[in-house]
Amino acid sequence: MNSLIKEMQALAQELLASGEVKGVFGWTKGSRWYLTPPLFIQKAEDAIKLHYDEFAINNLTSLLLDYRNSDDKIAIFVKGCDSRGILRLIQDKQVNPEKVLVIGLPCPGMVDKEAVKDQRHVHDLPLLRKCQECRYPNPVLADRTLGDVQVTKEPGVPIGITAERAIQKGVGSKGKERYQEVKEIEALSADEKYAFWQKQHEKCLRCYACRNICPACNCRECIFESDKKGWVNKAATTTDNAFFGITRAMHVAGRCVDCGECERVCPAGIPIMKINRKIMQDIDELFGTYDAGTDLEEAGPLNHFKLDDPEEFL
Amino acid sequence: MKAFPKAKLQEVLKTLASKGTLYVPALVDETHRYYPYRADIQVSLEQNSAISPKEIFFPSTEKIYNFTAYGIDGDYEEILPDRTACVLFGVRSCDMQAILCMDDVFLTRGYIDEYYATRREGATIVALGCSKAGADCFCSSMGLNPVEHEGADAQLYDLGDYYGIQGRTEKGEKVVEALAVAGLLSESSAEVLVPEEFVLQVDSEGIAEKLQAMFEHSLWDQLWRKCINCGTCTYLCPTCHCFDISEKKKNQHCGVKIKCWDSCMFNEYAMMAGGHNPRPSKKEKVRQRFMHKLRYFPERYGKYQCTGCGRCIAKCPVNLEITDVINQVREAKVNG
Repeated sequence: MNSLIKEMQALAQELLASGEVKGVFGWTKGSRWYLTPPLFIQKAEDAIKLHYDEFAINNLTSLLLDYRNSDDKIAIFVKGCDSRGILRLIQDKQVNPEKVLVIGLPCPGMVDKEAVKDQRHVHDLPLLRKCQECRYPNPVLADRTLGDVQVTKEPGVPIGITAERAIQKGVGSKGKERYQEVKEIEALSADEKYAFWQKQHEKCLRCYACRNICPACNCRECIFESDKKGWVNKAATTTDNAFFGITRAMHVAGRCVDCGECERVCPAGIPIMKINRKIMQDIDELFGTYDAGTDLEEAGPLNHFKLDDPEEFL
Repeated sequence: MKAFPKAKLQEVLKTLASKGTLYVPALVDETHRYYPYRADIQVSLEQNSAISPKEIFFPSTEKIYNFTAYGIDGDYEEILPDRTACVLFGVRSCDMQAILCMDDVFLTRGYIDEYYATRREGATIVALGCSKAGADCFCSSMGLNPVEHEGADAQLYDLGDYYGIQGRTEKGEKVVEALAVAGLLSESSAEVLVPEEFVLQVDSEGIAEKLQAMFEHSLWDQLWRKCINCGTCTYLCPTCHCFDISEKKKNQHCGVKIKCWDSCMFNEYAMMAGGHNPRPSKKEKVRQRFMHKLRYFPERYGKYQCTGCGRCIAKCPVNLEITDVINQVREAKVNG
């Protein structure tokens, strides 16, 4: 891992020093051993602040939205799951691929900081569930790669210098079980499902962290930003919260890249990915297996019309 | 000191709940916040609540009046909170200090918020001293004593197998008396447990003064870069008190005016009627949040508007830590 970090720092240093890019998004070591938060650097000498480890969980891609009107080229480090966010932004025409330099990294599998027992001393932590269920551990798109990772549009096993460790920890070991939680909800009666989601939406604070971290939530102005239109209002009641949650889920339907950031950042602990995964499962069943944000040329089943599309609802 | 065994916590809570609404930190549907006490609720005093108790006095959404409007004819009907007494049990020093910050905003300087005042007046606050610092706690760095807070009506101390209790005000003495009458109190000479050294520490001395010359500092050009402008920090913060008044219309003639939490992180927050936004980008929004906490509030009310509860640090999606901001302000070079 240290050699990979050195490679990252050297590349960032070179890109900034040569003026090829005006900024680099990566991660840095945080205030405690289990924190590796985002970092944006603009000076070559700051490249040594870059860090990467199994706590670099943040998907940085939505931060590119701050530069969508800028002429500056920005470099960004991505893990496999993050790279799908780049495709999302390019396909949604929010990011000009000429203005972003994507650097693909091998992923060691991210661990769960919620399981930290001792803040002072480093100890082992379990792999995140989303990483156990990971099907795209390698970048699906990258202009450069480090750590011997390879770009691939297909689901697969981890490649590169961290691959052995990642596989050992169980990255992708539960890829086939990713709809397990959806099945558990589907098994409930209609009333139970309603009660379950009411309880979840009751907790929502309407902080919009889920929306703001999401590479698929890239509207210039979100309808929930303004109540002037009278469609939505600011009341954080269960009904209004559900309206927000469901509207968001439907808006990212077929575009959600499965990075799980919305659920990770929810301060209320709402299992947002259950609803996103439900939609993914429905799309798989209705239109055939489809993974959003893996193929730049593929528009996605909800984005175009085919004569043989299923239409059971008619 | 008077004390009751921790094993009798449920009886203590039942006794207090029999006198009026009792709010306790509890886990319901995996959410740790203050709930009205019920016998079957899972009370959780191990660590501070994830959601601060500010919502008891300042709910995230409240109706303030119903209105009707037919042409130039209109009417309204105020909706005021009930004047009922309540007890908040287990409030930590950080959240007690935060309530004092909210008191400053809503009850002083010639403006009294009737909604806040009504709820606050009826409340008795039973604080709980911490014997263990949470992962993101730094109250001691913000000048607080985690073990006790003088602003509380009554103070609980962790004595190991017992909770010690001391009344501080008339309202607090009533709580102690109620427990004594119920035969729950005995004398204990056990030592008060205190937290070991905090993992997170920061030197906040003089930061408000230093920030006076830093509005245009280059520090702000960097701090916003990872912020996603969500409202997590402000909504979890026990002192953030911004709200917006809007409405829910039933039809074109009638509806209800509502007062809802608002956040300086949101784009619409500073938007003016003409469409001008004086805080257009993330930079201005992030600067405003920290300036308010660390400079404007101390200037106006003589205390920091951050009490070191650590909730924003724990839940910030990008780990933008106010302790780090304080450190960066301390280290920043100021010209002239």
